[in-house]
Formats: sequence, C-alpha cells, structure tokens
Amino acid sequence: MPISDKDFELLRDFIYNLCGMYFHSTKKYFLESRLTKRMEATGSKTAMDYYALLKSPSGGEELRFLLDEVTTNETYFFRCVPQLNAIETKFLPEIVESKGKMGFRKLRIWSAASSSGEEAYTLAMMLLEKRATLLKDWIIEIVGTDINETVVAQAKEGVYNAYSVRNVPDFYKRKYFKEEGGRFILSPEVKKFVTFNKLNLYDDTKMVFMKSFDFIFCANVLIYFDLAAKSKVVQHFYNNLQPYGYFFVGQSESLHGVNDKFKTVHFPGGFGYKK
Amino acid sequence: MDRQVMLETARNMVATIDELPTIPAVATQVLQLLNSPDVVVDEVADLMLTDQVMTARVMKMVNSPVYRPTQEITSLKRALIYLGLRHIKEVALTSSFIHAFEDKGGVLEVRPCWEHAFGVGMVAKVIAEKIHYADLEKAYIAGIIHDIGEVVLSYYRSREFAEVLATTIQHPVKLIDAEAERFGTTHAEIGYCIAEKWNFPEAYREAILFHHDPLAATSDPVLCSIINLADLFCTVRGLNYGGRSWVSFNLAEEAAWKILKGQSPSLAQLDVERFCYELDDAVPDVQELVSSIFSKA
Repeated sequence: MPISDKDFELLRDFIYNLCGMYFHSTKKYFLESRLTKRMEATGSKTAMDYYALLKSPSGGEELRFLLDEVTTNETYFFRCVPQLNAIETKFLPEIVESKGKMGFRKLRIWSAASSSGEEAYTLAMMLLEKRATLLKDWIIEIVGTDINETVVAQAKEGVYNAYSVRNVPDFYKRKYFKEEGGRFILSPEVKKFVTFNKLNLYDDTKMVFMKSFDFIFCANVLIYFDLAAKSKVVQHFYNNLQPYGYFFVGQSESLHGVNDKFKTVHFPGGFGYKK
Repeated sequence: MDRQVMLETARNMVATIDELPTIPAVATQVLQLLNSPDVVVDEVADLMLTDQVMTARVMKMVNSPVYRPTQEITSLKRALIYLGLRHIKEVALTSSFIHAFEDKGGVLEVRPCWEHAFGVGMVAKVIAEKIHYADLEKAYIAGIIHDIGEVVLSYYRSREFAEVLATTIQHPVKLIDAEAERFGTTHAEIGYCIAEKWNFPEAYREAILFHHDPLAATSDPVLCSIINLADLFCTVRGLNYGGRSWVSFNLAEEAAWKILKGQSPSLAQLDVERFCYELDDAVPDVQELVSSIFSKA
C-alpha cells in the first residue's frame, strides 16, 4: 500500500529515534512493502493506524516484528563494500603500521552478531589475500559470536546457498568456495581463521572477556535494544576495542545519543567509530 | 610547502593560460545592480532577460528540487520574486560559472564536477544555518566556487591532471597532496588566482584558498571552515567527482569542526550520523538540478 511522503517521514523519524536506524528516501518503496505486511497482520487500515499501534503501550512487541521485516534478518558475503574498501585501503594498513612499530604482529577481529558467519568469513578471505604482503607473519584471529545457537552451528559448518554468495567477487568465489549441487562450501583454509561461539551481548560477565580487538562489527542488532541496553553494550565494545581500533555498526544505523565517547570516522560511502 | 611559493607557481600557471574564461558581462552588471540600495526586481529581470542563456538557467534552477516551488514557475520575474533579491545573486553567479566553463571538455566530467560544486554549496548553507552564520547566501556561493581551481587544472593541464587523478584512485591520497607533488601548487592557489582575476570579494577568494586549511584563514575562518566541512562530507557521501576523489576523516580532529564548535557550541550535539544519511537523500536532488541545468531542452 503506498504511503504518503509525510507518513513515511513520520514513521522514519519514529523508527530512527527509537532504534537508531535510518530509512533513506530511496528505501521508501521497500519500507512500504514491509509495512503493508505488518499492517495486514495487525489489522491496521492506514499507516497512521499502524503508527498509533507502534506508539501504544504494546507497541514494543510490534516494533520487533517490524524490525525483523525491515532488516530481513538476512546476511550475505561482501555485504558492505564501502566499509571493506576503507578497511583494506586505509584502516588496516594504519593499524598494521602502528602495531608493527610496537612489534605486536597480531590482528584481532570480532563479528559481534555473526549470524551464519558471512561477515566474519568475508573478513577472513580479505585478510588471507594479504598474508603474503601486508600481513606477512601476522597472527590473525577472527571471532564470531551470536546469541542464536542454530546460526552459530551454521556458521561453523560453512555451507551457503547461492543467495548468500551473490556478492562474492569471482576471484574469491573460485578460490575459496567449492560448488556442489547449488551449495557453496567454504574452504577449510578460510574456516580455520575464524572461531564461532554463542554469546549474549547483554551478559556482562562474558563481555568483559572479549578483549583487545582491532576491529569490531555489530550490524543490525543494537536497533533491537532500548537506549539503556544499547549504551551498556556499546560501552563494552568501547572497552573491548584497542585504542587505535575501529567499531562498525550496520549501514543505516546510528549511535547518536548512545555513547558520547566514540568519534565518527568518515570514508567514502560510510562511517565507523573510533576511540 | 611554502604557500607564497605555491601562490607564485599558481600565478605563473594561470598567466600562461590563453583564453581564460570570463564572467558574462550581464552577470557583472546584475551583481552591481544588486548592490545598490534601492534595487527593484523589475530592473534585475529586465537586465537578465538580455542574456537568454542566463534566463533559461535561472528558470531551470528555480524549478529544481533544491528550491522546490509548489508549482512550476514560468516567468523570470516570478522566479526572481520567488527566489528573493538575496538569492538572485546566487543564481546569477552560479549561472555565470557554468557559462564560463561550459563545453570545455576537461579530464573531470562536467556533471560530477557540478554535482560536487552544488552539493558543497547546499551543505555549506545547511551548516551555515546550523551555526547561525550571518550570510547563508555567501556560504552557498563559496561552496559552489570553492573548487574552481580544480576545473582549471582539469581543462588546461589535462594530461598531468589525469595522472594525478590516477594516483589518488590507486592509493588513499588526498587530491590536494597529489597536486602539490605534481604541480608544486594546488587547486586552492590556482582557484585563488582566478578569483583575483575575476575581482571576487576577499571573503570568497579566501574561502577558495583555505578551504583545505581553515586555520590559515584570517578574514573569515568560519566561512573557510564551513566550506571545508561541506567539502569533506560531500566527498564521503557520493558527491565525490564521480568517485575520483578519496578522503577519510575523523570529524573530532578536523580543525574546521573545532573552529565551528567554538563559534556555535551547540554544534557538538549535531546528529552527525543522521546528517550523513540526510545528505545521501539529497544527492538525487543535486543530480537532478545539475542534469536540468545541462539539458539542452
């Protein structure tokens, strides 16, 4: 169902203020189609009825359903290309230089909402390509964590469908995947750099042990938390990050008002956070 | 590198350019007229109508999504009333620049150049508004003209400039640093020399010269900072010469950010993330404006 520009802006602001996720105008059609699903499910006749429902005391639960719809709960390899480019051309060489000077040749990366492992493995493949050059003699440790045991098991298995690998450049696809009956099996060479564990980001006792990362990624999870929970989790990420490290959230997410210590670092097509 | 030496190099370079573009006579007259205290819209309209190209451009600009009229404006006089006298200067100057550099065919493509220019103008105006800068129009114009030196390099030093651009694509090097290495001067100094030749007011000349180094500005460091930040933000949000300009920055460490926060402390509360996302949303509007200006229809 088409929604007016005014209603779109109202819903966009509501979602942004509550979750820290921004809907670009180019995504209006997408939001419309997802909203329509939820409006039908909740019996809302107009976008404004649905908006009223979201704002009502029971709106919190509905908001989760809506977020599930709009984040599509999916992940795929090479999802955020601008981010990967910036890491490859700028942030990684920078970190390698500062750590190298200290004689500390170890790189630690954390995919904090790793789902079925695509993000963690994308980074592993990218870094593997640098083993002969920039990262020669470096130890690479990549950790993927998720609250959901099923996806953690999937990540460990490392078998994907065509949809997950649709963005993988041919070079990587040929080198690191074996295709078998429409399934793409990830090479053990990549898998050995990544470990996956179940972790609840809200579990303070476990979070304090996730130490000394150079890069932390946490996409499309903080949007589900309320402000207090968000602040707490982001503070953990802040503490777990090396002084020169980088923290990244999802492509349309924002930490504004969540943590005033992180500084934004901008690059073509995106931004990340730095201490 | 010493700035005086770079300025001298730029002056020599500009001096060797034959047929340096000039600003249309009508634009100069319009600007003079707008400076007189009792100017009326009719007079400006009559003068502008003597230049059909300028009239057509003003009509396209005023009907673009950046200005958003509720219905299409079809007469120049209505356009001028809609824009208001202050904004007429914006469009007259903008139109002149486009005219001066039209159809020259440089290394940089025309549209991405103007998309960057208009983008920086637009963002400069938004930042100026946020920090309560007194003259939003000045910020807009300074934004549009800040990279005029880039255009000169692109047209008149095309071979060497293409090489410079190639290095910035292969490595994360700022264009201005690559230029300094190749030419011994940069688009900032070259732009300044052109602005001098065109008798631009000091504030604009300074904004062109120091838009990468606002700390060096003496007459209006706030304006230079506005342009500097607008330039940085546009470059990371898709208005980057069609991907030919690479930049990465930590906002908190930028001198311009510190200068502007000093000017208007509430800027520290700016939702930078949302600012970026809204800028993404404005990119198609800027592209549409540029596309309408350059369409022959």
